[in-house]
Amino acid sequence: MPVNDMSTKPIRIAQISDLHIKAPGKRAYKRVDTAQALSRCIATLNGLTPAPDLVVISGDLVDTPTEHEYEHLKDLLTGLRLPFAAVPGNHDSRDLMRSAFPDWAYAFPSGALNQCIELDALDLLLLDSSVPGKPHGELDVPTLKWLDGTLSMSAQRPALLFLHHPPFLTGIGHMDRQNLRNAADLASIIRRHNRVQLIASGHVHRAVLTAFAGITCTICPAPNHAVALDLAELGEPSFAIEPPAFHLHVWFPGEGYGTIVTHQIPIGEFDGPHPFFDAVGNLID
Amino acid sequence: MTVPAGHGVAVRIESCGKTFAGGTRVLEPATLEIASGETLVLLGPSGCGKTTMLRIIAGLEQPDAGGRIMFDGNDMTRVPIERRNVGMVFQSYALFPNMSVADNIGYGLKIRGVPRAKRAERIGELVQLTGIDGLEDRRIDQLSGGQRQRVALARAVAVRPGVLLLDEPLTALDAALRERLRGDLNQLLRSLGITTIYVTHDQAEAMELGDRIVVMSKGRIAQIGSPREIYFEPANRFVAEFIGAANILEAPVENGQLMLPGGRLPVDKPANQARATVMIRPETIDIVNADAASLAGTVETVRFAGDRMRITIREAAVNMLAVEVPNTIAVEAGDRIGLSVAPEAIRLLPAECQ
Repeated sequence: MPVNDMSTKPIRIAQISDLHIKAPGKRAYKRVDTAQALSRCIATLNGLTPAPDLVVISGDLVDTPTEHEYEHLKDLLTGLRLPFAAVPGNHDSRDLMRSAFPDWAYAFPSGALNQCIELDALDLLLLDSSVPGKPHGELDVPTLKWLDGTLSMSAQRPALLFLHHPPFLTGIGHMDRQNLRNAADLASIIRRHNRVQLIASGHVHRAVLTAFAGITCTICPAPNHAVALDLAELGEPSFAIEPPAFHLHVWFPGEGYGTIVTHQIPIGEFDGPHPFFDAVGNLID
Repeated sequence: MTVPAGHGVAVRIESCGKTFAGGTRVLEPATLEIASGETLVLLGPSGCGKTTMLRIIAGLEQPDAGGRIMFDGNDMTRVPIERRNVGMVFQSYALFPNMSVADNIGYGLKIRGVPRAKRAERIGELVQLTGIDGLEDRRIDQLSGGQRQRVALARAVAVRPGVLLLDEPLTALDAALRERLRGDLNQLLRSLGITTIYVTHDQAEAMELGDRIVVMSKGRIAQIGSPREIYFEPANRFVAEFIGAANILEAPVENGQLMLPGGRLPVDKPANQARATVMIRPETIDIVNADAASLAGTVETVRFAGDRMRITIREAAVNMLAVEVPNTIAVEAGDRIGLSVAPEAIRLLPAECQ
């Protein structure tokens, strides 16, 4: 019997994913200016009204990874006027990320970079699905135990999970071969606890939606390039420059664990907003 | 390092604070000592930092740099959860629904390689101790909520943890069952002698179970004390109002007297400041004859609560005054009455910082 009466205000969490920041002047795959893409993304994030309470970066913060790239990332993120947190992806290094962001609330003194962030009435569980040196994802045993233990406490608080690797197949074969390998372990823990309301991932650079273990599970699009939508493995693994976007998860208090909705927000400046109604309230026609 | 099993460890929480990515500090650096075998209750409203503190003790969370967790003088800060020898009981039972009661209780022992006969012996002890003997072969989904929580407790203590952590273990149960289980839990914790840290937002639970209570608010420790100290000598207005019913009176002081609309009350310490804030528990106020009383008012409402009566009085203080009196006193709304409070029941509170 969850109680959300302590908080009556919505909580907004922006999710951006797969930034792939290179050293200054270098392009990803010799083509994509990921730094410029992030700067555009930051401009859109800064312009959101009301401002999100937190930005979660769901992995692949940098590309190679190198210390230099994390420095470049941190330089770019100084333009972000919102608090942020992150999980590592397969392009990240746990050690480099830990030293780039030493003040974050990691649950373990070494190893996986898991964090539980209490955001007003919500618990955000940031899970490290990276496997050092490998492209695929896996939640290691300490992380699974931590997840189970953390979900066991505060049973009344809605919890949102963030991890880089999607725990499901998207139909894009070359990405599916490097998704979360032990999704069944994650599913069995989620089924033991009622309070998980959303599983938000990245990795695929496309907006994808499914239900996983009965819970809404999303993939956040990227601010840069998209993985090409090849659902039949007709071509080589490739990318395309599609409209960049990110997700805004909004939690509304209410019955039970409240409601979470996910908006997809395009990055950039667009014509509008234009009013629907004129000064006296008539529909403009 | 693994703590030797079978005795309650002394826990020291040393300058443990917690700040999240994004900069929100949910726990100000706090230091606390919990004696071997003691039951300490962390009490406070949602968001006060009590669960964060429990997660740090359990090993689910690292404290901010500078914080340390000590068990019997050994630094456990970097020791992972599975090697801290802590037992945990949660509001969500987290039992294995497809296993029997006995298998659930013996689960931790089996993992540790305890032989079958020894396991059966320990399970036998625990079902007796927790009052679920006879249910050993039942499946979890055939049990009531109260029985499930007894199984969860038996499972947690089966491996003889050095510290038992309980996170709102009774919250999911209905009120009558909660009260009965609270009494049983109290006896059980005392007979086990395990160091226990109990998190709750329910002050009645805290009062009954705690050797000491840590009242928390907005990430800070507001007060540490025995249940009596917390109740009768609250350190500040937050504690006074969070624990039980309290009249908070804020008024000018003249010659050691609190000057109220309906008269005056002595302030236990002559305050230098021109105004004072005091707390008076409703049951410490007596109804006396209005003529001789130094404080008088008019009865606004009378509620009969069986064993006692709850009365509200206007015109005595700026706000309505709450009084609880024995059910033998005859008063009605509109009666003019006198009020008497023993000087030691008038608790001076520190002036609010705001």
